[in-house]
Parts: sequence; structure tokens; C-alpha cells
Amino acid sequence: MFDTVILFRQALYGALVIGVACSVLGVYVVLRRIVFVGATLAQISSAGIALALFLAGAGVALGPLLHPTVMSLVLTLVAVMFFASGARGRIPPDATIGVTYAVAAALGILLIAKASSGEAHDIFLQGNILGITRGDTLVLLAVAVPVLALHVLFYKELLFVSFDRETARTLGYNVRRWDLLLYLTLGVVIASAMQFAGVMLVFNFLVLPAVTGLLLSQNMRGVFFWSVVSAVVAAILGFSLSVPFDLPSGPAISAASGALVLLAWLGRRLAGRG
Amino acid sequence: MTSLVTFDHATLGYGRRVVLTDISFDIPDGDFLGLVGPNGAGKTTILRALLGTLQPLGGSVTRSPTLRFGYVPQRDQVDYNFPLKVIDVVMMGRYDRIGLGRRPNADDRRLAEEALEHVGIAQLADYPLADLSGGQKQRTLIARALVGEPNILVLDEPTNGMDLVATTQILGLVRELHDRDGLTVLMVSHALNEVANYVERIALVVEGGFQIGTTEEIMTEEALTQMYGIPVEVDSFDGHRIVVARRRSKPVHDRV
Repeated sequence: MFDTVILFRQALYGALVIGVACSVLGVYVVLRRIVFVGATLAQISSAGIALALFLAGAGVALGPLLHPTVMSLVLTLVAVMFFASGARGRIPPDATIGVTYAVAAALGILLIAKASSGEAHDIFLQGNILGITRGDTLVLLAVAVPVLALHVLFYKELLFVSFDRETARTLGYNVRRWDLLLYLTLGVVIASAMQFAGVMLVFNFLVLPAVTGLLLSQNMRGVFFWSVVSAVVAAILGFSLSVPFDLPSGPAISAASGALVLLAWLGRRLAGRG
Repeated sequence: MTSLVTFDHATLGYGRRVVLTDISFDIPDGDFLGLVGPNGAGKTTILRALLGTLQPLGGSVTRSPTLRFGYVPQRDQVDYNFPLKVIDVVMMGRYDRIGLGRRPNADDRRLAEEALEHVGIAQLADYPLADLSGGQKQRTLIARALVGEPNILVLDEPTNGMDLVATTQILGLVRELHDRDGLTVLMVSHALNEVANYVERIALVVEGGFQIGTTEEIMTEEALTQMYGIPVEVDSFDGHRIVVARRRSKPVHDRV
């Protein structure tokens, strides 16, 4: 069993980088109640990959923009600018997010259906974790390390504007700018992970580990710690079971994450903390 | 006495929607002002203009260059899902002083503990914020405002949703901060009866109307009847002034 896992170790490393980055950002996604924004950004990101494949198949020459990750990044960042602007019209913000989600999901499937490139529909749900190479892992690291460094450096600023934006504003914080930083890092991580992890796994890593963290700890440091630990454990566990048993890796990791949430919930109940 | 904030013929509103016009008043150093009015009358609009988060549509709102707000938001504006200890929340009041990208040090922690002691909940420093009662949460938010060493404490509906005991304790604490420490205070509230017996001046906002004066000037039946548009009585009970809407109509000029 371990031989097979070792054979695909680059894929595991890649999944771990994605898991760690998403599980840190996920704490804000869950606490700020923007879980649906996370899902929508993931969906837009996958529509970007579909668009790149469709255009490539149609013979459109757009140079580097045709790379699935680049196209995914461009579309995701456009969406990020929109969500971070906090623009409010007559339509409630969550309905706007819902419309974007539905349209992005539909467009992704339509574009893939007409793409001549044969890269299967799987990317939408499962990604292609086993296809991660050493070079891909290095690219993922090149994205994740600066993003996490920014989050460590500006932890207290991001926490303050997330927790109590009005008071932060009275102390001179440009809340919109900090929101933008948070959303941009979220968009970059999602877009870079999407081609490998797929919508389901990226969304899983953005939400489930953070929930486990919140169930297990009563302070921010502990929540981040347990969020990252549970993402790492889920990635190793899911991956180790999926390879020898010939299961799709993404859903296996997601299922492992779900089991950890359940364990954390049970542990909390048993500890008498509800 | 130096003025900390000056509204000069300010027109306030959002986009094209004007909420209040021709607002002129100032908050001198050492003032204890209650900004009072029913919900929806424009208190929050004035508050935002004062804090600088809303630009006036006309006229001007000027703040003293050294002005530093100690803002205490409404309790429900804070998200209690965040797993934060009381001391962590208080420390936020120093974040801008600590500087970008730097962490609080032992001095910041000591100041936060002192602020908690000042508001009477030093023993709760390491409790989760979410586990506190309404009054204790309010004290935590006041401590956070104080730890930043403000020259004006601004409280938004500090007693909203509190019972009589907690309300009295919180208003007593704010009064003490003003009397003992000489802190300038602006308290926003919809409850005239609660505020009137603690503050020294009242700014009354009612449906586009605005009036400001000492408590004695505002708490008269003429002024209040004119502002609210219905006959009201101002009675005195055990040294406290109480405003009630008059049930039977009596000619206004009969009253004091």
C-alpha cells in the first residue's frame, strides 16, 4: 500500500500544499460567513479552466492566457474584485452570489461539452490530483508561501476588520482594502489549486478543516492549528486509502475531512461543550 | 474650551437621499452629550459623520487634528462566533498604535488588563467573549475603547436590550469615566428617559428635526412637545426626570 502511495508522492505533496493554504484561509471564510463566496469563486475558477480548454480546442490563439490556470486566475480575480467591492444594488448580495454560482457552473459544463480537448469532465468535480508533478507542486508552493506569509504578517489587521469592521474603521483602517487583500489571496489560492483539486476538494478544504478547528478550539491560534492539522490528516488519510483501493482521491479526501468534522463534534459533545 | 468636533451647517445623507439638513453644533472637550432620538431619525447618520465614515453632502464636519475616538459599537455589531478571549478583544483597541504587521507586546497586554480593571472585569480577561453576559460584553467593548487612550468616548446604544440592573450599571460606569477621568463622552441612545439623568447636554433628533442644549433646556415640555409633535409631560421622581406622552390632551401652555 505504501509503495503505491510513494509512487504518487508528488500528488500527495501537492494536495498537502493546497490543503494547508485553503485551511488557513478557510478560517476567515467560515467566520466571515462567506462560505458561498468560496464555493462561487471555486466554480468561476473551474469555468475559467473550461474556457481555456474550449478556446484551445477552437484554435483561438491567446498565448499564455490560454493556459487553464492563467484563464482561471483571470476570471477568479475579476469575481474577487466584484465581491470585495461590496457593491449593493436592489438584489440582495447572497442572491447575486447565487446567480454567479449557477451561471459559472452551467457555463463550465457547456464549454467543456464543446471543447475538443479531451481533458474529461472530471476536473469540475474531482480535479486531477494524481496528475500533479514536482513542477506543479513547486508552482503551488510559490503561490501558497507568499499568501500564508501575508496572512501571518497581517494577522491582526485581517482579524480586526473581519471581527468588527466599524470599530476598525474609526481607528483609521481602510476596511475595503483589507477585504480586498483577503479576497485576492483567496482568489489566487483557489485558482491555482483548481486544475489539480477540482471544485469539490477546494471547497472542502475551504470549509471543513476550519469547522473542525472551531469545534476543537476556543481561541484563534488553536482554530488555525486544528484547521491545518485536520486538512493535513484528511489529505494523507484520504490519499492513502484512495490509491490502493482505486478510489477517486478528491472525494476520498473530502470524506476523510467529513469524518474529522464528525469526530471533532463528538469530542466536543463528550467534553460537555455542546 | 477647545472643540473636538464641529458640525457647521452640515447636510447629511446617503447619495441623493438627504436625512438631515443644517446641523450645527460642537462637542467641546469635557462634554457629556447624549444624542437621542427614535430609531430611524438620523442618529446613526450623525454618528457616522462625526466618526468620519460618512462625508457631509453640504456644510462641514471638522475634527480636532489630535482627535482620537474610543468607539463602542452596538453589542450585536460584533460577531461572537469569533473564538476570542476578552483580553484579545480589548487589545484590538491598541492595534493601530502597535503598527502594521507587528504583534502586541507585554506593555500592550498590561494596558489591556488595566483597562479591564478600570471597567471592573479584570477577572474575566481569559474568558471567551461569547460566554459573557450582555453587561460584561459591553464592559469589554468599553475597555477596548479606553485602552486606545481616546480623547472622546463614543457609545452607540450601550444599553440596548439590557435589563434594569445592567442598564443602571453601564450608565453609572460611563458617568464615572466622565466624572473621575474627565473623559469627553458622546452617548447615542433611543431611550431619552435613560440618558437624560446621566448626561449634561442632549442633542435630540426627531424626524428631520434637530435640537441641542443642556439637559435642563431640552427636558421641558415645550421643547419636547415641539420636537415629538405630540403633547408630552416631564415629571420628576426622586430627583429623576421622566418624559411621558400625555394620555388626555391638555393645553400645552398649562404645563411648565
